[in-house]
Amino acid sequence: MSDLLEQLVHGLTLGSLYAMVATGLALMFGVVRLVNFAHGEFYMLGGYAFWYAYAELGLPYPVAGLAAAAAMGVFGLAYERGVIRSILARTWHVQLIATLATSITLTNLAILVFGTQPKEVPTTLSSTIADVGGVRMAWQRPLVLVAAVIIFAGLEWFVTRAKLGKAMRAMSQNREACAVVGVDVQRVALATFGISAALAGGAAALVSPLFNIFPDVGALLTLKAFAAVIVGGFGYVRGAIAAAFLIGLAESLAAGYVSYAYKDAIAFVVMVAVLLVRPQGLFGRRIGI
Amino acid sequence: MRLTRRSTIGIAVVLALALGGERPGVQAQGATPIKVGFASAMTGPSAITGEGVKWAAQMLADEYNAKGGIMGRKIEISFGDNAGTPGEAVSAVRKLADVDRVDVIIGQTHSGACLGALPVVKELQVPMVIEACSNPKIRELIGKTVNEWAFRVNPDDVMLANQFARYMSQSTKSVSIFAQNDDFGRGAAAAYDVAFKKYGIKLVSTEFFDRGQADYRPVLTRVKRANPEAVLLVMLASEGSVFMRQFREVGLTQKLYARGSMATLEFLHQVRDSPSIADGLVEATYWTPVLDPAWEKQWLDRFKVPVRVHGSLAAIAFRYAVAPAVEQAIKKTGRADRKSIRDALEELDVANTPVGRIRFDDTHQAFINMLLVEINGGQLKILERIAIQP
Repeated sequence: MSDLLEQLVHGLTLGSLYAMVATGLALMFGVVRLVNFAHGEFYMLGGYAFWYAYAELGLPYPVAGLAAAAAMGVFGLAYERGVIRSILARTWHVQLIATLATSITLTNLAILVFGTQPKEVPTTLSSTIADVGGVRMAWQRPLVLVAAVIIFAGLEWFVTRAKLGKAMRAMSQNREACAVVGVDVQRVALATFGISAALAGGAAALVSPLFNIFPDVGALLTLKAFAAVIVGGFGYVRGAIAAAFLIGLAESLAAGYVSYAYKDAIAFVVMVAVLLVRPQGLFGRRIGI
Repeated sequence: MRLTRRSTIGIAVVLALALGGERPGVQAQGATPIKVGFASAMTGPSAITGEGVKWAAQMLADEYNAKGGIMGRKIEISFGDNAGTPGEAVSAVRKLADVDRVDVIIGQTHSGACLGALPVVKELQVPMVIEACSNPKIRELIGKTVNEWAFRVNPDDVMLANQFARYMSQSTKSVSIFAQNDDFGRGAAAAYDVAFKKYGIKLVSTEFFDRGQADYRPVLTRVKRANPEAVLLVMLASEGSVFMRQFREVGLTQKLYARGSMATLEFLHQVRDSPSIADGLVEATYWTPVLDPAWEKQWLDRFKVPVRVHGSLAAIAFRYAVAPAVEQAIKKTGRADRKSIRDALEELDVANTPVGRIRFDDTHQAFINMLLVEINGGQLKILERIAIQP
């Protein structure tokens, strides 16, 4: 029983990470209809920002975490202005190449700037072990889960209650109509990228104390988050969150009970199986956050 | 075509330069640099190895060139990025051989990349000295009768596994293997499977992981369930630090053995907040900084980070195989082209190196010393130095 509980704890930690990254991807797609293949690299940069704030500047963990999220928020705004805005009206091929090129450029820039040695950012919580019903885990793991829940609740409130959030929802349904009724669509798109990047930065600050930060860390993460977005129903944020947890749990159970080497393959087989049965995604929604 | 006065003068100048250049050209022949290519993973999840190789190569080139090069010929270095994969290794070798026109290659650091590069060095007839690829298959693919252009300095995992399993059998009866899911990890796992049987060690389970994984806890739970006496890790320091933290997080206390770069300064640097986290881990290796303190100091002074094992292995290959072979080739033939370097490598015999004697047998394999290095109190300690027999 404790064995199963352990696998569930791993699955939920991984699911939280995938969900925070997938949420950003889903928001971007929902609002501006663009798949950001550099989103994993946002996580990577967030990790380095957190490392710099926490390990180099010596800021307290919560401050360093918020600083990383804020730094990535600013980066997201700059990315929208510098890269995305000029390609939004272009074909999907151009968008694909532009975001992929950004991904490769950011990875190699990280190698140049930070080197290839992984950065370790252990915190008090990641070094302190709790024993819950025979399951040993660093306190950082429950923190990741709790923080993820709070972030998703906050996001839910934001998109349903806040003016900007409502505008994002409206844009996800009909961009042209929004423009006609006076919604500043460029400002909403800009904010979407800021929020999505900040989410990736926040995820990095939460998870980096458990895992390493290295230039290539975002590559696989983008794929996993992308899978969650597809399974959840493209552009549907709640679906992406649920699917991310599903993938995290599937991966953990596959690794724990079938094969660690093929856990990623098994997670993707789950994705293919879901899409065969429900091509519109698990939650069967049309596009809309 | 009518020749104007100006064009006639121009042609004369060009001819004068071309013909007049003949004699300086002969002199320049003697001063033509020796072009050495270093192939390793410069990008991708294994880029840490390539960075070490790059730094080592720059240090070596500066050091040799400050002394006037080898037999008066400067060293010119080039790099090929194999990304740690067979496919990219092919491109790396072609780039080094065809574009950079190197005389000799040192590489490829990763077994999969080595396996990919071997047919290409044979096709392009460029000598390659392997410094750190331990997949046992490589030995079947190099040598006088199979591929006369490839040479390997480091021992393979069959050689290491036999000695290491003998050592483990003194205190361990059951082991789980946890290895990288690539040619290095799978080659080592297969070699240890055989060696464990030979020495009466029960192999409880074998698990593979893809590099760049974040969470090892699911597999650690499996290890916990299998409950072996010891775990053999086939992994590099970059993964090792996260793995060790999660190993302790899960509460495992098994004895640890390793192949890769766990008992290294790189690893200890990464776990410097908890230096004794891997105390008791014993690694089978063939290089550790104690073997060459001057190199370690030179590295630290220049790069301010702990000496990297893969850079050091490339340096061993350069200093004690490639450089003496180039010198020998020039002495014997007056040239340092690919063929003469290859011939010199076949005849190479350097007795006193930090890693033992370097002399290639008919399979182009050298037999340097094997080391058992232990992490103890956050420090590295050589437990045994074992001479590997051909």
